[in-house]
Amino acid sequence: MTLFGITMNELIDLLRPRFLSFKNVGDSRSSGNRRIRYLLFAAIGLAFWVGAFLMFYRVLTYFQGIEEFGDVLARKLLSMVLLTFFSLLVFSGIVASLSKLYLSRDLLLVHSLPVSGGKIFLARWLESTIDSSWMVILFSLPVFLSYGIVYKAGPFFYMTAGMALIPLCLIASAISALVVVIAAVLLPAGRIRTVFVFFGLLLIVALIAAFRLMRPERLVNPETFATLLLYLREMGTPGSPFLPTTWASDSLNAALSGLKGEALFHLSLAWSCAAALAIVATWVAGAFYFKGYTKAQTTAEKLFPHKNGLRGTRYPFFEKISGPAWAFTVKEFRTFFRDQTQWPQLFLIAALIAIYLYNFSVLPLGQSKIRTIYLQNIFSFLNMGLAAFVLTAIAARFVYPAVSFEGDAFWIVRAAPISLKTFLWVKFAVYGLPLLILAEILTVSSNILLQVTPFMMALSVVTVFLMTPGVVALGVGLGAAYPDFQSENPAQAVTSFGGLLFMLLAAGFIAAVVVLEAGPVYQVFMADFHGRSLSGLQWIWLIVSFALVLLLCILAVLLPMRLGERRLRG
Amino acid sequence: MIELTDLTKQYGSTLAVDHLDLRVAKGEIFGFIGPNGAGKTTTIRMMAGVLGPTEGTVRIDGIAMEANPEAAKRIIGFIPDRPFLYEKLTGMEFMRFVADLYGFGDGLFRQKAERFLIQFSLYDWADHLIEAYSHGMKQRLIIASALLHEPRVIIVDEPMVGLDPAGIRMVKDLFRELACKGTTIFMSTHTLEIAEDLCDRIGVIHRGRLVALGTTGDLRGTALLQEGDLEEVFLRLTGKETP
Repeated sequence: MTLFGITMNELIDLLRPRFLSFKNVGDSRSSGNRRIRYLLFAAIGLAFWVGAFLMFYRVLTYFQGIEEFGDVLARKLLSMVLLTFFSLLVFSGIVASLSKLYLSRDLLLVHSLPVSGGKIFLARWLESTIDSSWMVILFSLPVFLSYGIVYKAGPFFYMTAGMALIPLCLIASAISALVVVIAAVLLPAGRIRTVFVFFGLLLIVALIAAFRLMRPERLVNPETFATLLLYLREMGTPGSPFLPTTWASDSLNAALSGLKGEALFHLSLAWSCAAALAIVATWVAGAFYFKGYTKAQTTAEKLFPHKNGLRGTRYPFFEKISGPAWAFTVKEFRTFFRDQTQWPQLFLIAALIAIYLYNFSVLPLGQSKIRTIYLQNIFSFLNMGLAAFVLTAIAARFVYPAVSFEGDAFWIVRAAPISLKTFLWVKFAVYGLPLLILAEILTVSSNILLQVTPFMMALSVVTVFLMTPGVVALGVGLGAAYPDFQSENPAQAVTSFGGLLFMLLAAGFIAAVVVLEAGPVYQVFMADFHGRSLSGLQWIWLIVSFALVLLLCILAVLLPMRLGERRLRG
Repeated sequence: MIELTDLTKQYGSTLAVDHLDLRVAKGEIFGFIGPNGAGKTTTIRMMAGVLGPTEGTVRIDGIAMEANPEAAKRIIGFIPDRPFLYEKLTGMEFMRFVADLYGFGDGLFRQKAERFLIQFSLYDWADHLIEAYSHGMKQRLIIASALLHEPRVIIVDEPMVGLDPAGIRMVKDLFRELACKGTTIFMSTHTLEIAEDLCDRIGVIHRGRLVALGTTGDLRGTALLQEGDLEEVFLRLTGKETP
């Protein structure tokens, strides 16, 4: 059997190292450790899965209660969800194909084998399709399940959902691979990594634009439309007939309504497009992939090249200061910002922060029956925790892998006349300071948007100031306790056992701080609200709670750093 | 200058280095040879403070590595067998990084860095990212940066791997010159000609134990050979002789 000119045996041969490595990773760990790891993964995955299901179920049930246009809203939501999935698939497809096709370490070996570039492309493309899609597919299932249950759909709907998702993934992955293969030929030699920066920028613009255009807050706020008719028309507008997400949502909507023929028609559109794109991608790759790969083997150029002669002082501030700790600080900045694969992540964070703050600006506080001042301060209090969770997500991507990023060059740290303790504290400082500034900006700006009381503003600023070092130290410490110096992509370390442990501990730490502060803050707020002062007992409660918060924050810094140092030395 | 006492390293059930005792004097070039997996790299890494021993001690110029690793490392120049570096730094930036680690001033650094970069034929590449360097160039950069702080002890694992003939000649001459000035050089190598040509004494390690120690002549005696080069001695001592 052949697929686009490649026999099944050839394809299996090319993919075998991946299967075997995956299998051997499982075999190489002790069974006890592996079981704990899998359980942890399963528990977190299940929690997300159940959370997503409950959220969608609740929203869809609410929509169903709205007469006349409940279904319209549900369909609009489905098309938005599919569009979001598709954007994610394209973006992760670009990142995955770029690494699989041009940057992987094993490519040198693979290209030395008696196999054509086109065949290598096909094997790698399938690999990157699976890599970039499995998580989106997994987490889209609760969405479809909730639709199926709320609309009491039969097996045909679930089958349609599966059959609609696969071509969506294939189309996204084929588009990504085509874009990458063409970019590799067109871009000047040594500029292949700039694709990361370019698509990162594109992503931030697309995300903000999409969010701004969709304005999801309108889904629950019909009052903002002049008339009901206008609202209905706006919500019921079908998507572009040329968008793969439209075919997917049309087939799903038809399946929900029991229109099997229509569902199959839209499915066939999606499948034929996926097949056509796969053929086009294979053909384009056959012609251009090896050419682009050869170009990509040239030395990578700096994103912003500069003439830095031997006597040049490009960074006069850096050049003037000496000392081992400073040497590592400078090295950390330089290696981080010169790694162009980091840039899309930075842009993504910028986009998410913009959306985060935008959400606060559109909160319908004035329309609530509850007193606005009460809501504002509740939101502000919860926002402390939310900002810390955002911080945890960023730390998981950048701080946790910071030690693993040393990679094979870690021997330099071990051989240097610097203690591991200093090395880890340098990491803490380098990542801690920008994250502290970021967390404070998030907190202060969202508080300004919420127009909170000065007490809440001060409390948020101080709490975030205390919590951030704890989260950063947890990242650095656990990253050092569970390092992976062999990884081709240390950024993925967050999905490892240590990474998950970091996220769990950080979430627990943040929750503990928020819970400890919640009681006394409520008392202060209510006392202020009723114009009375705090009782002696309330003062004691307040002091003990804040002392415990302070102690917890100090321990969250010291304990993980010590653990990391000890494990790294061992 | 180098004292290894009862040095042992155990990886799980594998005994990589087995109670090794060794003294290397100031200004001596010591060669460390042995078959693959004999424990050479493990020993060298313990000496450089990159790896902790299971038992025993490493003393460099009287400083115990375990008790005072930073002070001991300050007088060592370590050259590993594989040239892994920070790929996103330029050669010059890496030199500066090393200079900052060992804490010496800017004026002195420039002068020395330029001298070494010229000596190791890297001057024209000083402002290029290390990821653009060939294997040999990376190896040269590691050697140049290890010499930058004028170490009293040089610990080197396979010094000539990746170097071209001119590079090998230059490194050999440089090591001789440094040894004459009192620098102690401890090198492991598979290139027996280099060990024979360069080293004052040679130690043969096999299955984690030091099976022979001395000059080539001494080793010949240990191997019960009247004549023959180091290769024959090595094969006899490690039991790898072809029938």
